[in-house]
Amino acid sequence: MGRTLPSITQAFLQEQSSLARFRRALRREDQLALDDLLADARRHLAAAAYASHLLPFEVMLLAMLVEEHKAVIDLRRRLDDLEGTAETFSSPRLTPPDSDRTDA
Amino acid sequence: MAVWFLDNDGHAVPLLDHFTPAFYARGPQADLHDVCQMLRAQRAPVDLHRTERRDLFLDQQVEVLEVGVRFPAQLQRLQRQVAEFRPHLTYYDADIPLPQRYVLARGIFPLAYCRVEHADGRLTAVEALDSPWDAEYRLPPLRVMTLRLDGELRNPARGYRSDLLVDVGGQSYIFKRDQGRQLLLGVRHLLEQHDPDLLISAYGDSFILPRLIELSRHYGLPLPLNRDHGQAVGHKRAHSYFSYGKVIFRDEQHTLFGRWHIDRQNAFLADDYGLDGNLEIARLTGLPVQTVARVSTGTGISAMQVATALRRGVLVPWQKRQPEALKTGLDLFAADKGGLVYTPIAGLHEHVAELDFTAMYPSLMVHFNLSPETVKAECCPGVPVPELGTPVCNHRQGLVPETLAPLLEKRARYKALMRALPEDDPRREVYRRRYSAHKWLLVTCFGYLGYKNARFGRIEAHEAVTAYGREVLLQAKEIVEARGYRVLHMYVDGLWIHKPGARGRPDYEALLDIIKDQTGLPIELEGVYRWLAFLPSRTEPRVAVANRYFGAFQDGSLKIRGIEARRHDTPAYIKDTQLHILEILADGRDVAGFRALLPKAVAYATERLRCLRAGQAPAKSLVVQQRLSREPEEFRVRTAAARAVQQLLGAGIPLSAGEQLRFLYVPGPEKVRAWDLVDQAVPYDVEAYTELFLRAVESLLAVASVDRSMLENWLLAGAGYWGPPGVLPPPGADPRMPLLAARRRRKAAAQPTPMSAAAPQNRYAEHWGRRFP
Repeated sequence: MGRTLPSITQAFLQEQSSLARFRRALRREDQLALDDLLADARRHLAAAAYASHLLPFEVMLLAMLVEEHKAVIDLRRRLDDLEGTAETFSSPRLTPPDSDRTDA
Repeated sequence: MAVWFLDNDGHAVPLLDHFTPAFYARGPQADLHDVCQMLRAQRAPVDLHRTERRDLFLDQQVEVLEVGVRFPAQLQRLQRQVAEFRPHLTYYDADIPLPQRYVLARGIFPLAYCRVEHADGRLTAVEALDSPWDAEYRLPPLRVMTLRLDGELRNPARGYRSDLLVDVGGQSYIFKRDQGRQLLLGVRHLLEQHDPDLLISAYGDSFILPRLIELSRHYGLPLPLNRDHGQAVGHKRAHSYFSYGKVIFRDEQHTLFGRWHIDRQNAFLADDYGLDGNLEIARLTGLPVQTVARVSTGTGISAMQVATALRRGVLVPWQKRQPEALKTGLDLFAADKGGLVYTPIAGLHEHVAELDFTAMYPSLMVHFNLSPETVKAECCPGVPVPELGTPVCNHRQGLVPETLAPLLEKRARYKALMRALPEDDPRREVYRRRYSAHKWLLVTCFGYLGYKNARFGRIEAHEAVTAYGREVLLQAKEIVEARGYRVLHMYVDGLWIHKPGARGRPDYEALLDIIKDQTGLPIELEGVYRWLAFLPSRTEPRVAVANRYFGAFQDGSLKIRGIEARRHDTPAYIKDTQLHILEILADGRDVAGFRALLPKAVAYATERLRCLRAGQAPAKSLVVQQRLSREPEEFRVRTAAARAVQQLLGAGIPLSAGEQLRFLYVPGPEKVRAWDLVDQAVPYDVEAYTELFLRAVESLLAVASVDRSMLENWLLAGAGYWGPPGVLPPPGADPRMPLLAARRRRKAAAQPTPMSAAAPQNRYAEHWGRRFP
């Protein structure tokens, strides 16, 4: 329908194509890592759209960080499990505060 | 005005009624005076009055000139003439269809059960004894005559010719196509003998009726297609238009006077809501049945808004001039957005519940009073819209909410009626069709709110609806997350959620009530899935897309979106295969059950593929159907569609954008053959169809980490590495490195499957795509 502004997906694709030269100059293995990061950003387009941030790239960077940090938390937890030393790190809480409530 | 009634014995009775519709003009006194002078000077059949009426957007009475036209058919012409004479005046009520105006003025509606008083062929009093809001009503006893070409249903515009087959009064008659005079006399005889109320045809609009009229002219024999012999058959030319990214083709139209003609091949949504839905919409909207059958439901909802306006005594603007109000770039940035569309968490999940807000956008309009005249109203401080802050008046009900509220209510009643009946009750289907008609009316009401040419559209109201939609969906997300559910996906008005342990309908009742209470909107549990797969994007396999998924509900029924089986251009053979594989997998109670049934599904697919490759699939089931996206001469690239178009044009068959195109992939340099030109058995291109077949199966099995090479081994070679075809690698094994698996298997034996993304210990399993790209 007659939208005046580009949709968030279009904005994302624009940002992605503006990185084309940067990506081209990277080594193959680095290119693959960059593609992973961009895919991470893409997972949060709905939130980025809702945010209506003037600079979508900032939100994209943050979305990448969110995914990276989730991976860190996950790895940290697995490491804890392997070493049998749970709760060594002050990791942020993974479960929502009242998820053990069973009222629903 | 001639009004046709059916009496209790089924006889058609025409009655004349005197009816003086009016249009209105507003502006400087001097100009209105000039208009009066002009009309009087040419002795136009008009009654002129100065009067006061209500303007919707000004929210006050305004002084207007009322021009009553004594011959209703002349209203349009006179109004155009006046508008040319004084173009800067504001005109109202100028283009409301006459039949609708008439029924509104008399307080009746199409198909109403009426008490009628008449004398000397003139109507003296009429009163409706039932209401368009009744869910159950008696329909007049209609005598139906069907007309179609004998044999397989094919489009005569593509050169198909056959004898004429007429069904009426429980008997079939065939008229030879090469004996025009007998054919004409035969049809005339049947029309006179049976006097049908409704002609239902296949390709009557574009072929049968125009040919009959031509024959009647050629032989000089009058054909009483109309009951009203004073009128010629109504005709509208074919056209193509652009709607929601699609080119739509509407064939020419032939409408009758005193009886109806509906062409099933040219009717809007004939397959979905059919005649029952059609009659329901005619009753609700006041539009004639023949019109309803040929226009989109958007026209219907627009007509209902006009009816609300007329009932309220509000003027209906003609050629509305209301530009979008000025807003800053930042405001535009905040407002110019649609509903929230999330990226789902890719992979196969189990015990997922889908919650849907019922008719979300219309419900929002009713609940938050969103209407063109209430959004940004200056009459009161109002309630601010979330995100945007636009005030919405809350002291008078808007025109759009007033129109929609009873529709929502009646739709809910049909749903309840439908559910209360047993599965095999024939009334169920009637209710389903009427329910579907309501659904389509409600679907279009949102688009019309944002359409600048819609009479009751306003972009700010449209933006307010989407803003409220986002707000309500996020509220629902917060409510479910606070109760320990994980949100797998959200899509405008639906949420897909999961919580370990929550498996059945009863687990969600309380949750639904809380969301209903807090948001004020009705929400329903669409169902709980045994398993559900969100598929990755074709262009970016690392990320899932919002509208490609399939799953099996607990009752074994399937919900499928975005895969080949849902696409119109997928050949029936492949569609059927895909659906049947899904039916096999739907027996699996959870993710493990899904995986366990893969060998059975693969065995079925292998057999189907064998038939296909042996040339045993019926050519008809391999026809690809596409909508022509552009005019034939605009094709630049030699796509399959372009080749088929060229063949048809070469055979002298004209095509327009938006028309359906059907073709078959054939071997050799020709590549495709237009289906309309196939008259004998032709071999099909086995490799092309194998490719389509494998892609369709891969769409289903990729969620179980089945890649293309594994699939080819299974289906084409009948070989499987881990067991018979369909048996998956053991948990923890990387299918690309099978020899490493033996070692891994021992290690992984104690661990649960990593595939089940919904398993609680695997919270961030959306990285699934990263590990198995």
